[in-house]
Amino acid sequence: MSGAVTEVALEQARQRRRLWMTSGPGLFWIVLFLLIPSLVLLGIAFMSADDYGAPILPLSLQPFQQVAGFSLLGWDAGNISILLRSLQQAGIATLVSAVLSYPLVFFILSRPEPIRPLLLLFIVLPSWTNQVVRTYAWLELLGPNAPLTWVAHHLHLVAPDLGIAPGSFAVTTGLAYNYLPYMIVPLYASAEKLDWTLVEAGRDLYASGAKLFFHTVFPQTLPGLLSGVIFVAIPAFGDYVVPQLLGGDKALMIGSLIANQFTETPDWPYGAALTLIMLVVTGLGLVAFRVLSRRLGGAEEASI
Amino acid sequence: MKRLSLLAAGALALGLVAPQMAKADQPTLNLFIWSDYISESIIDGFELQCNCKVVETDYESNAEMEAKLRAGGDSQYDVVVPSSYYVPEMVDEGLLQPVDHTALTNFKNLAARFQNPTYDPGDKYSIPYQWGTTGIVYDPSKIKDPGDGWGILFDPKVNPNYPFVIPKGEGRDQIGAACAYLGYGFNCSDPKQWIEAAKLIKATKARPNFAGFVDETPARDQMKHGLIAASMAYNGDIAGCKADGTCLKLKFYLPKQGSEIWVDTMAIPAHAPHPDLANEFINYILDASVGASLSNFNQYASPNAAAQPQLSGIMSSELITPTAEQMKNLQFLAPLTGAKYKLFNQIWTSVLQ
Amino acid sequence: MIPRNVRRALAGFSWPIYVLLYTPLALVAWYSFAPAPHTQGLSVYAYGVMLHDHSVFAALRRSLILAIGSAIISTVLGVLLGYGLSRFRTPGAKGVLANMPSLIIYTPIIMPSLVFGISELIFFNFVHRFTGLLGAGLGTMMIAHITFQVPYVTLTVFARLAGLDQNLFDAAHDLYANGLKSFWHLIVPVVQPAIIGGFLLGITLSIDDFTISFFTAGPGSVTLPIYIYGAIARKGVTPEINAIGTLMIGAVILLAVLHFIITRHRARGAELAAKGTI
Repeated sequence: MSGAVTEVALEQARQRRRLWMTSGPGLFWIVLFLLIPSLVLLGIAFMSADDYGAPILPLSLQPFQQVAGFSLLGWDAGNISILLRSLQQAGIATLVSAVLSYPLVFFILSRPEPIRPLLLLFIVLPSWTNQVVRTYAWLELLGPNAPLTWVAHHLHLVAPDLGIAPGSFAVTTGLAYNYLPYMIVPLYASAEKLDWTLVEAGRDLYASGAKLFFHTVFPQTLPGLLSGVIFVAIPAFGDYVVPQLLGGDKALMIGSLIANQFTETPDWPYGAALTLIMLVVTGLGLVAFRVLSRRLGGAEEASI
Repeated sequence: MKRLSLLAAGALALGLVAPQMAKADQPTLNLFIWSDYISESIIDGFELQCNCKVVETDYESNAEMEAKLRAGGDSQYDVVVPSSYYVPEMVDEGLLQPVDHTALTNFKNLAARFQNPTYDPGDKYSIPYQWGTTGIVYDPSKIKDPGDGWGILFDPKVNPNYPFVIPKGEGRDQIGAACAYLGYGFNCSDPKQWIEAAKLIKATKARPNFAGFVDETPARDQMKHGLIAASMAYNGDIAGCKADGTCLKLKFYLPKQGSEIWVDTMAIPAHAPHPDLANEFINYILDASVGASLSNFNQYASPNAAAQPQLSGIMSSELITPTAEQMKNLQFLAPLTGAKYKLFNQIWTSVLQ
Repeated sequence: MIPRNVRRALAGFSWPIYVLLYTPLALVAWYSFAPAPHTQGLSVYAYGVMLHDHSVFAALRRSLILAIGSAIISTVLGVLLGYGLSRFRTPGAKGVLANMPSLIIYTPIIMPSLVFGISELIFFNFVHRFTGLLGAGLGTMMIAHITFQVPYVTLTVFARLAGLDQNLFDAAHDLYANGLKSFWHLIVPVVQPAIIGGFLLGITLSIDDFTISFFTAGPGSVTLPIYIYGAIARKGVTPEINAIGTLMIGAVILLAVLHFIITRHRARGAELAAKGTI
């Protein structure tokens, strides 16, 4: 009896040792090179800056006053409008990719099964090239003297001699382009499992196609959509490359604002405080969507 | 089979890394310099002389260079090229180490007026590299009447339509230009004037044809491609593209309201890995014929008196060597250190956001 | 399932989207064949300029070292991690400690690249200041790239192992007393498609990244994306940059097609093998 107990205990200890030997190195790596560094960064948000922007003691909340918009020029809504602008850009980009994704996903599902993976691959493919390349590629369409700019001039949407890029329309386009696959893939995964008998049943009940869609298809694909929203909105909100290349510093987004505090006009504590705010906003969004998806009965995606 | 391809990938990676390691025992000079500010032949010449390798990394503004040094670069780069007004602040911050005058046998080549400057008494931390001016470059096919001042940037009536840019950088030139436009002089130092200038730039930023914050050299290149019509510019950048025929239609002028004359210097970061090589490099640049070929390549005026006979004819043009009349409106930027630097930096930060 | 008229509408909407997805990339390729100065018509002049630019080659070499080196190390770490978590974790355990590994693994995925990059910048800077180790350069970039690749390799391997019959592990246990041997001879072959997939994914992620590389770079560690970004910031888009961009796009398409063929082929092969042996 007691022998069996020790045997079980021994086996458990062995399992634990194996767990640590196999998963230890990888976990340790991430903790050392990402978790600790990001905690250091967040700690800096509560320090003072020396004359040259390096973090020093004593602890201080001044960085957060700067975040709130207090500076030597008096109070300025600049930072708040940057935050709102970033949220708005990310929101529009997410909406655009969701609206594009539904028809695309069902288009792929309407094709014969063997070619579906290929059709999906061709949507994901551009996102595997380097982000700088696929972002600057839009300058070829939206920059001054580029084809779409020319069209926009003739429609009087853009002043002569200016391009669509740099500008906020170009940033939104770039964000939607960069993150569209992140919406398509989860949406496809949930649409693939769609219960078509429900749709068939609904066909008799609802006269219009829109009603049919919103009562039968939409609820079933909601979990995929919500994951997609998270996968698109989070990186789009904090993106650095797209606003830098297509926004031209005119309409600063939070990513560029943060990067500035570590590059051209160094003020590490202020930059760290901005980062903290960005992470808090991101985290709130994440929690909100998890609650939402749970309440709407979305299935938990398979996870480790 | 799979293991085979993994192995092949590993071997490929090793093959790529190995030559890198083999070269590691040859000393390397890490040069951190403005983009397009030194020719390959000058670097090749130094590599031959010192039997070392030169790795060049580029920056676009003093602020960018300083931020990199602060973030650990002060123990990675051997030579940096800050502008004169940046030297005191970098010394104050402990980012630079003194140059070794015993190694600088060519120091005597420097023209007397560039020795012992006010920004660095006794040439302790910095040695002049090139000097020049900052003015305006514009595209006359678009902007017909720019006036003779900074209005081309700050007055919506002078340029209501065409895209223009303002440098990003550290803000000294930009605030200075706005101060000069407001009548406070290029070298304004009263925080109240700074704030007024900052507000002017913020208002300028909101104009529809403001195309962004772009540093001087990139702005020149964008203007060559017809993307923008007006920008601040360094005189030598314009002389350079006029010499190679890529910007013949562009025009440069020094605003009458006042603008900047500067000296770019060579300095050694505080914890440079190879200070001996760094001093050797500085001495190499001070050589008469190297100094001449540097200026002939850069199209900037040389502080090297011994190099003057070997300079190409264009050096005597008014673009590179300002006239006595123009000199009256040119000023060196006063250095900023400590609390005043912080104040200025905060003002500039709030302009950018 | 989907009525014919709807299908037609979907196709009419979707094909233009596919075209739009590739238009910018196609334009990059098109403009890379810009005429040489003072001539007209298409030419490969820009490719000639690129071939003579030794800094492009240096950047390409660094990008390859970075991508392959980081993918090898992250594959090793990720395979072990995925295997360990799928095999040795007490099933059904609740609580913070039991969920810790998942939390750690999802952090690099969910963290915005910018925060990732700046955290690393500051961390490497502090370590370097106090120990003289980890000076910014290709080495620090490699560390950062490994960090963001490990979770993806882990998830790929974990997904593959989770789909396997538990009997396989028991059989392995009976066949080989030594855990390492059973891992090497049974588990590795079975998860081979996932390992290859994870490795290629690692390379793709490394090539895709700009932001994290940008903030962890040091002297003489300009990689291809950083080179392109710097050149665009300085001179705008030139035919030479388009030529480099075209080659990068081409390489990725090639890699992706290869990945597609290998993983499909291997997955089927491995499934058959697994069915046959057990």
